Amino acid sequence: MAEELKETNNPRRRRSGGRSVRQEIRKSKSEVSAPYIKRNVPVYNILDEEGLELIEKNADTILEEIGIEFRGDEEALQLWKEAGAELSGERVRFPKNLCRSIIRKSAPREYTQHARNPQKNVVIGGNNTVLVPGYGSPFIRNLDEGRRYGTLKDFQNFVKLTYLSSSLHHSGGTLCEPVDLPVNKRHFDMVYSHIKYSDKPFMGSVTAPERAQDTVDMAKVVFGDDFVENHCVITSLINANSPMVFDSMMLGAAKVYARHNQACIISPFILSGAMSPVTVAGTSAQILAEVLAGVAFTQLIRPGAPVIFGTFASSISMKTGAPTFGSPEPALVTLVTAELARRLGIPYRSGGGLCSSKISDAQAAYESANTLQTAMLAGVNFMLHTAGWLEGGLAMGYEKFILDADQAGMIQKFLAGIDLSENGQAMEALREVGPGQHFLGCSHTQANFESAFYMSKVSDNNSYEQWKEEGSQDATQRANKIWKKMLEEYEMPAFDPAKDEALKEFIEKRKASFPDSNI
Amino acid sequence: MAEEFEEEYEDEIDLASLSDEELVLQMHDDLYDGLREEIVEATNILLSRKWSATRVLDEALVEGMRIVGIDFRDGILFVPEVLLSANAMKGGMEILRPLLAETGAPPIGKMVIGTVKGDIHDIGKNLVSMMMEGAGFEVIDIGINNSVEDYVAALEEHKPDILGMSALLTTTMPYMKVVIDALKEKEMRDNYIVLVGGAPLNEEFSQAIGADAYCRDAAVSVETAKSYMQNQMGAASRI
Repeated sequence: MAEELKETNNPRRRRSGGRSVRQEIRKSKSEVSAPYIKRNVPVYNILDEEGLELIEKNADTILEEIGIEFRGDEEALQLWKEAGAELSGERVRFPKNLCRSIIRKSAPREYTQHARNPQKNVVIGGNNTVLVPGYGSPFIRNLDEGRRYGTLKDFQNFVKLTYLSSSLHHSGGTLCEPVDLPVNKRHFDMVYSHIKYSDKPFMGSVTAPERAQDTVDMAKVVFGDDFVENHCVITSLINANSPMVFDSMMLGAAKVYARHNQACIISPFILSGAMSPVTVAGTSAQILAEVLAGVAFTQLIRPGAPVIFGTFASSISMKTGAPTFGSPEPALVTLVTAELARRLGIPYRSGGGLCSSKISDAQAAYESANTLQTAMLAGVNFMLHTAGWLEGGLAMGYEKFILDADQAGMIQKFLAGIDLSENGQAMEALREVGPGQHFLGCSHTQANFESAFYMSKVSDNNSYEQWKEEGSQDATQRANKIWKKMLEEYEMPAFDPAKDEALKEFIEKRKASFPDSNI
Repeated sequence: MAEEFEEEYEDEIDLASLSDEELVLQMHDDLYDGLREEIVEATNILLSRKWSATRVLDEALVEGMRIVGIDFRDGILFVPEVLLSANAMKGGMEILRPLLAETGAPPIGKMVIGTVKGDIHDIGKNLVSMMMEGAGFEVIDIGINNSVEDYVAALEEHKPDILGMSALLTTTMPYMKVVIDALKEKEMRDNYIVLVGGAPLNEEFSQAIGADAYCRDAAVSVETAKSYMQNQMGAASRI
């Protein structure tokens, strides 16, 4: 059988420098990756035309008949009045098609978010998918320390891990809440950490309008005034306070970002049963109504400002009221709202590796896999919470992050679709090998083996004996070693020292200009 | 990335112009890169420089494959690459084997290997064959679906040091015991190191049927075979 191999020793095979070079290549390999996913697999459309029209009609009815509250923001009410909406107090009622026509007139179908490293710019919308780490957890969890409050150090660790994860395309935002810093100043350190320790695109602060403004001003130090006004460099998360309310905090941040041409993700935050009806169709109509009002509002602020149709939909346990994840009904909502977003013609955000498990156990794995797979099939463009999420978002898990990032790598490979080129068809291999032989040595395998299959960094597929010899470790234990090694080997991406100085100076000045506060 | 690195490496190296030391290091690289023709050429060059076959084997080929083995174990090299390396090694061995026999140097070892009766699965067994050849063993592969008679005939004809048996099915693995029992009956069992392998086996099973060891994968098969050969030679030298 080695005789067959002899023939495969074809002219393509040549000296490649032996061991030292191969080791170098294999070690450096992991960082070569696409800046975002260009989808080559169809989306899964779950509702037909009739079903979609029904939900759109119901959303229109919600907007016209029930209305949406824009709380604590006079300017917002004034803008709606001028646009032709009907006001009663803070309740805004929208004539049929008002929101949709505002959106269709100016909201971009897709947009580029620029990174400080232009090779890592991402295109959000259309056939593209951008995978983004978890957002907003007050706690962190790891195998060594268990569960505790997050700190700036943790935040920076997750920036670094995300930077090093080729399957995550975006640095994200509040990777964990650095509760060791004063509430009114922590955004400086968070935004600075994204800029300094990574060169991927990032998200901005939304917890107060002036913090959003600080984010924009810091971006201007990095990218330049004009550049920021004309290009998107920040994508930020604006939640609707469902049901059917936008609050002044979120509206304030949305106004700042939209005014500076920066992107907002208008995301109804829904736990069905509490913040929306218990049904998929009812929840979907409510989400669409809230999104139409929120997205149209950004276009009133600045026509053409990039904006995303966001959806965070989960359900609750009707026995306890606790949120549930990875369950079938929210998966249906994700699929329906993705279709609604495509019909509206703007980018769509949902999904992630969501779970309610406290640790990265089997429950975490299947719930997360359910939500990731659904989001992948739905055609999510911006997938927040892809990696790290535990216990309904209360904790960011170090090991969970590694396991999820590995899943994200698989999604990337799946969405690349099926190679039907001559090489993909592999007829040459079939002819060469023939019946009863193996394909391991044939030329086609020799030429393709390295990238043929997704190779998990976490999964153990060795023999039982080898696994046992290596300490009978489960996936969490293996992931623990991986994140530690990544942080140990982390090297900061180059950053212009002049810009760094200017940023630090800006932060120092701003921090000194008002007292620390935790409210 | 790979292209960048490759470009730095001159493909045309005049092996004959290298010093002995340089040539041996180049052979380690060429084994690593799975270049059979280059290994054959370099083996002949060393022999023409009055190197003994044993020295070529030990310093150039076995040492080169030892490095390949380490990087395979550590997940740097892939199976198809190791197969090429093994094939290159085999090219060198084909030249050395008759010379080694002439000088009476202790051989690395000889193995008869086959899949047991009722079982037609042989990809794992083929991998073991190749890796064994890559480590310098002489391997006689008697294929699939082998009866007791087939094994006995092959053992009598080739007089190997090692008998390797493989099975993929729980329904065929008991036949390994049938073979071993037959060897015991013919008082042949103790003449061979018996190594068994296949997905449904484990160490306990191998002990129960009277084999010497269970080998969980191709790399372990090589290691196990080597250590048994060493023990055997150690024992022989003490006699």
